[in-house]
Amino acid sequence: MPPAKLDPQAMARRAAGFIAPGDVVAVDSGLPSLVPGVTPPDLGAWFLRNNGMLNDLPLSLADAAAVTRGGYVDLAVVNAGQVDAAGSFSSLISTVHSGPNPPGNAVDLAAGSGRVIAMLPHADDQGRPNIVATLSSPADGLRCVSAIITDIAVIEVDSGGLTLAEVAPGWSGNDVRALTGADISISPALREMDFSPPTGVPPSKVYPDGPSAIADVPDGATVFIDGFGGPGGMAHYLLISLRDQGSRDLTIVSNTAGIARVVSFGTPPGRTAIDHSVLIENGQVAKAIASFPVSPSVSRPSEFELAYRRGEVDLELVPQGTLAERLRAGGAGIHAFYTPTGAGTLIAEGKESRNIDGRDYILEYGLRADFAIIRAHKADTNGNLVYRGTSRNFNAVMAPAARVTVVEVDEIVEAGQLDPEEIVTPGVFVQRIVKRPDAFTGYE
Amino acid sequence: MTDDKERLDRAIIAMRVARELPPGATVNLGIGIPTLVSMFVADDSIVFYHSESGVLNCGPLAEDGNEDIDLINAGGQFLEPVPGMAYFSSVDAFAMIRGGHVDVTILGAHQVSATGDLANWMLPDRGVGNIGGAMDLAAGAEKVIVAMEHNDRNGNPKVVQECSFPLTGKGCVSLVVTDVAVMEPTPDGMALREVAPGWSADEVQSVTGARLIIPDSVAEYEV
Repeated sequence: MPPAKLDPQAMARRAAGFIAPGDVVAVDSGLPSLVPGVTPPDLGAWFLRNNGMLNDLPLSLADAAAVTRGGYVDLAVVNAGQVDAAGSFSSLISTVHSGPNPPGNAVDLAAGSGRVIAMLPHADDQGRPNIVATLSSPADGLRCVSAIITDIAVIEVDSGGLTLAEVAPGWSGNDVRALTGADISISPALREMDFSPPTGVPPSKVYPDGPSAIADVPDGATVFIDGFGGPGGMAHYLLISLRDQGSRDLTIVSNTAGIARVVSFGTPPGRTAIDHSVLIENGQVAKAIASFPVSPSVSRPSEFELAYRRGEVDLELVPQGTLAERLRAGGAGIHAFYTPTGAGTLIAEGKESRNIDGRDYILEYGLRADFAIIRAHKADTNGNLVYRGTSRNFNAVMAPAARVTVVEVDEIVEAGQLDPEEIVTPGVFVQRIVKRPDAFTGYE
Repeated sequence: MTDDKERLDRAIIAMRVARELPPGATVNLGIGIPTLVSMFVADDSIVFYHSESGVLNCGPLAEDGNEDIDLINAGGQFLEPVPGMAYFSSVDAFAMIRGGHVDVTILGAHQVSATGDLANWMLPDRGVGNIGGAMDLAAGAEKVIVAMEHNDRNGNPKVVQECSFPLTGKGCVSLVVTDVAVMEPTPDGMALREVAPGWSADEVQSVTGARLIIPDSVAEYEV
C-alpha cells in the first residue's frame, strides 16, 4: 500500500510557500487556481487570473497580457500536463489522448514571467509519469519551469536537470524516483514538504515626501514626465523635487518639453504654471523625446527651444500617437510595431518601412524609462490610481513603462476605499506614492 | 489684380466647413480656424467632438471663471462639462484616430499639394516644429479637411503643385476650404469646386500655386 498522495488543497498550500510579500502571481486555471485561496491576505500578493481579474480589478485580456509581457509577473504558476527534464512544459493532460489542450495564456506566462512553477499530478491514473524525458505534445514554454510541485514531491529544475528537493509525508526519494519518467537526482538535503503559509508584508509604497521618493534618480536616467501640456495632470511637486535633487544628463520623455509657462497652455488666467523648464534652466536635461516640444508662438520661445538653439539639448520628435503607442508597447513587453503615421515624411527617414496590404508603415520601437513621475487624483495604499477628467492621457500610459513609477496625488486612501470598477492604473504599475502638500499649488 | 479683392473671413470659412460634417460624425478639430467650426454646426445635428487630450463628446468652451485644469481640449482651452462625455488615455485617443473611428478631422495647413499632400507642422525657417497629433490624424482620420487662408501673410500661395515644407502626410487631404475657394485634391490635380462671392475661377487660379482643374461651371460658396 503506497503512502497517500496530496490532495489539491495541500499542493496549493505548498505552492503558496513560493510567494514573497507583494509578489505579482499569475495563476493558471486548474490546480494553480486554488493558490490564492490559501495565501494569507496580509502578504499583499497580486493574483492575475486567466479571466483578466487582477485581485478584484477587472482588466481587459489585452491589459492582463500586458502585465505579463511587461515583466510585472514575479511568479507564474502554470497548470501543466507534462514537464520535461529541461523545464519545458506542455498543457497536455496525459490521461486524455484526444490531443493537446489549447494553451490559453500559458505561452504568454512562460515568455514573460520572472519565475515559472508548474503544478501537476506526478503520474496519471495508470501510473504513467507526467515528468518525462521528452514531451509527447508541443511545448507551451521552453526551459522556463524552475520548480515542479506534484502530489508527492517538489522538484527543482536547473541547467543540470531535475533535483528532488522535497517529498510528501510518507514518501521516500526512491518512491518518487520510481514514478518519475526522467533522470532525477535526489538532493542531499531532501526534506519533507512544509505546508506552513508564507509570512511577511510588502514594503509600503507611501513615501513621506517628494525628495525621498525621487532621491535615487541617477545621472543619465531616462525619466517620463507626465501631462498633456498644461498644469492639469502634471506632477509639479515631483518635478520641483527632481530639480532640487539635481541629477543631470537626463533624457526626458513627455508630450511637450515645457510650453505652459510661456504660452499659458491649459492655465487659468493670471497663473504661471510650473513645467519642464525648471529642469532645463537648471541644466539637467540632455535630450527630450516629445511630440510638441516648442512653443506654438515663435515670438515666445520656451527654455527648451532656447537651449536647443544653443546646442545644449537634443530632440527626438515623435508624432503624439506614436509616442503614446511606443509607451504602451514598452510597458506591455511589445518591442516594436508598425504604424502608418509618418510614412512618407521626415519621421520615416532612417526607419524600417514596409508595405502591408497596399499601405506603407514604419517600424517604431517601444519606450521604457528608469523613472516616471506621474500625477493622479487619488491613490490607495496598494498604488491603484484614479484620475480626473482629461488628466489621465499620458499618465496612464507612462505608468506601466517605467521601472520605478512615482505618483503624486491629492489624496491617499486605504486599500479597499477605491471602487475597483473605476481604477484606471492598477497598483502593480506603481512603486511609490507621495501626497502633494496641501499648500503646494503647482504655480510659480 | 486680386490684391484688394475681398476675401471671406475666418468665421465664414468655418461656416462652410461645418456643412461637411454629417450628423452623427465623430470629428476632431485642429487649432485655429478649425476650432471655430463647432460654432456653426446646426443645433439639431449631433456631432461628437474628439480631442487628443483624452475626451470624446466635448462640450462648449468653459465660461470665464469656470476654468478646470483637468478639463481641456488639445488646444489647451477649458471645456464646459456636459452630459455624455468620456475620458480616456492617449493610447485610446490615438487608437480612435488610427483605428479609423474618427470620421472627419479639420486641420490648418502651411501647404497643401495638388494631390492632397499636407504640410502643417514645420516652417523650415524656424528649424524646429511641433507635430502633436497632426501626423496621426492625417494618417488615420477617414476624411481630412483643411481649413486655411488661401495665401500666407506675404501673399505666397498655400495651395501648391508640390509641397516644399516638410510633410505631415502624403495624399491625405480630401477637401480644402479657404477664404477664396473650395478645392478637392485628386490624383490628376487640384479640382476647383466653389469660389467665394465675387471671385472668378481665373482670379482664384492667379493666387494659387497649383494648376487648378476648372470645370465648365463653378458654384459660388453657399454661406
